[in-house]
Amino acid sequence: MIGSIPLSHVLLTSGALFSIGIAGALLRRNAIQIFLSIELMMNAANLALLGYGAALGTHEGQILVFFVIAIAAAEASVGLAIFVALFRHTETIDVNKINLLKW
Amino acid sequence: MDRLFFDAAALVAIVFAGLMVIGRNPVKSVLALVVSFFGLAVTYVLLLAPFIAALQVIVYAGAILVLFLFVLMLLNVGPEKPDGARRPIQSILGGLSVVVFAGLLLGMFRASGARVPVMAQPAELADPAALARVLFSDYLLHFEAVSVLLLAALVGAFVLARRENT
Repeated sequence: MIGSIPLSHVLLTSGALFSIGIAGALLRRNAIQIFLSIELMMNAANLALLGYGAALGTHEGQILVFFVIAIAAAEASVGLAIFVALFRHTETIDVNKINLLKW
Repeated sequence: MDRLFFDAAALVAIVFAGLMVIGRNPVKSVLALVVSFFGLAVTYVLLLAPFIAALQVIVYAGAILVLFLFVLMLLNVGPEKPDGARRPIQSILGGLSVVVFAGLLLGMFRASGARVPVMAQPAELADPAALARVLFSDYLLHFEAVSVLLLAALVGAFVLARRENT
């Protein structure tokens, strides 16, 4: 079944999604949109892991993706809690206006 | 046939990821990312990982992105307004990252040619029961560590988002 899907297509999709994610993380100003871009980059990595896992015929790719999803859930909960706390103090989540720790 | 489905799903994922990045309204960004993740779930099924595809829909699109949407609604964040400021460093870095990754990918294709390391496909690869047997034997310690991590994240989120005067 995987034999009919070239691994290069999987990696190309993964690389394209990762590039879109890194461009979004660098160009957006809204902290939540930056966070969404980071989630997209994690999914690009997941796709590459699953592609190699299927090509090599092992379960390890799927198990790594399982752990990545669990860690992404933990990261999302803590990150969004930070945004809520930040918004309560500064009334904004624009990363250009939050420069307390800059320099 | 699989290849056709894979390419269509990958295209949907990439197009909606692009919409997510260029959109100024954060709510529309989250919704575009939900569609992108559904496209990715289809590719996961085609890559013989139906359990991970279910996790992608239930945990990622269902729980994590709904949490994002919930926080967006809670904070009432409006669309990003163009402030007219040029951000040359970010623009250069963003463009450079895209160019570097495209170059890496092209170099990889030229180096590897059309050879795809497709090995004999064990039928149990797509079987969640076989996945569970590996997960709960070889990777049991890691699984338990992740459960502790999730507990730590729960406590951390509670402490961070709590009001300080109560």
